[in-house]
Amino acid sequence: MATVTPAAPQISLDRVQKTYPNGTVALRDVTLQIPKQDFVFLVGPSGAGKSTLVRLLIREEKATAGTISVEGQDLSRLKRRHLPYLRRKIGMVFQDFKLLPNLTVFQNVGFALRVTEGALRHLKPKVEEVLSIVGLEGKENKYPDQLSGGEQQRVAIARALVHDPRIFLADEPTGNLDPATSWEIIQLLLQINARGTTVLMATHNREIVDVMRRRVVAIEGGQIVRDEDAGGYHAPALESH
Amino acid sequence: MHRLWNRIDFAFSSAWQNFWRNAAVSVASVLIVWVVLLALGSLLLVLHSLDQIVAIEKTKASAISVYLADTTPLSSAMDFKLHLEQDPRVTNVAYVSKDQALARFRQLPALDPSVIDTLGTNPLPASLDVTVRDIRDLGAIDQEVRNSPLVDKSPATNYEPNVIDKIILLARVAGIAGLVLIVGLTGLSVFIIMLTIRTAIYLRRKEIEVMKLVGATDWFVRWPFIVEGLIVGVAGAAVAVLIVGFGYRPAVINLQSVLIFVPLAFDPSYLRIVLAAMLGFGLLLGSVGSYLGVRRFLKQ
Repeated sequence: MATVTPAAPQISLDRVQKTYPNGTVALRDVTLQIPKQDFVFLVGPSGAGKSTLVRLLIREEKATAGTISVEGQDLSRLKRRHLPYLRRKIGMVFQDFKLLPNLTVFQNVGFALRVTEGALRHLKPKVEEVLSIVGLEGKENKYPDQLSGGEQQRVAIARALVHDPRIFLADEPTGNLDPATSWEIIQLLLQINARGTTVLMATHNREIVDVMRRRVVAIEGGQIVRDEDAGGYHAPALESH
Repeated sequence: MHRLWNRIDFAFSSAWQNFWRNAAVSVASVLIVWVVLLALGSLLLVLHSLDQIVAIEKTKASAISVYLADTTPLSSAMDFKLHLEQDPRVTNVAYVSKDQALARFRQLPALDPSVIDTLGTNPLPASLDVTVRDIRDLGAIDQEVRNSPLVDKSPATNYEPNVIDKIILLARVAGIAGLVLIVGLTGLSVFIIMLTIRTAIYLRRKEIEVMKLVGATDWFVRWPFIVEGLIVGVAGAAVAVLIVGFGYRPAVINLQSVLIFVPLAFDPSYLRIVLAAMLGFGLLLGSVGSYLGVRRFLKQ
């Protein structure tokens, strides 16, 4: 049993396999380590296994084989009743935002604190703080359908930040956004990363990945085919022709 | 304290919203709970009344009243009394005059005394109230006294050998029939509450998804639905409790005026127990139904 030292990676996958009950093999033999404060792009074609990997990290799915550890916790041994406390350490945003249409911006963000039994008197300052981080001051009382796509994703990011997460997972966060708005969201993720949060972003957005020159992990057919620091969307060899 | 309050506030406000967002289904489940509890409360009160009647009839069981013809002179009645007292099977004989019988009759609950006054004459016979050592001898004594010319013929005595058995049988049949009905209705109401809760869960599926995502505990997600079930239980119970609580006394009074010779009594202390049992059962139905509703659907 390895002890967790400060040097241990924050997220670690060791020969992870995921086979769905219908027989589809989503991940095969994935080994990946992500240290604290890293910023990682997870790229690959649709169906390559990016979303499965993200789902495994918040244990929405369990690995079929191999071990996954997040924040020093072995997810296969994590008891169901301890799962909510893991989720509070992980901020999560999606392509479809997952905002509640009948709640205002303020209420959507506050919802994450309310349902995790945060003390209500801390709610207002915390919500205001994260809304100012994402630049939505003054929009507290708007409803999601009164906001642009980019603003909606900012609300989702603010909601993911209320627990001061150590890890931020973004699954295709710019998938529904135009290029200019996508860049704003990326800037925001960089800012979050600069505050000390590890960011893992699954994306199709080739332009962003190529410009950013950050660590890129490419998945194809359920396997990691490339893991480069300061990489591009495609391998250099493929780009050259 | 703040956290607990937040949890309660969230559960109750969500439950209340669920209840009204889903009003038609919620009202259906309140109605079925109401019917179950009305049946339960009525059954308990009817069985209790039958018990009371049995208890009173049992104390009367070792005695019969032998009704004397109005033409029987008092001296003959006294001779007859003496004759009966000498019987070894008899422990006591009491003479009840026509006036005493009338006075007793006036004491019957829910009887309007003016009804008797309008008759002008006293229709009640004098009687000899005979108490026996062993109630099995009552039948033989009844047969003997019927043949005496001193005895009234319509009716001769109040001897009804099977009355207690009949009441006990009635109580048993009513109890079993009521129980079957209540068990059936209970199953139905739990099922309908479960469907109500599942509808509410379906309507809240997006919220539930977000709650789980941001790290709400399973019980935090479940509580609003359990509370919704409890609201259904309490609402159904409240209506049933009001009806039974206010209806019991008038029902007893009405029955007393129809069944004047039946010792039916209003028992407020038992009523309180019944009302508490109804409320408790309503809460039980609500919590069991909603627990079954959340159990499967919030697991993954």
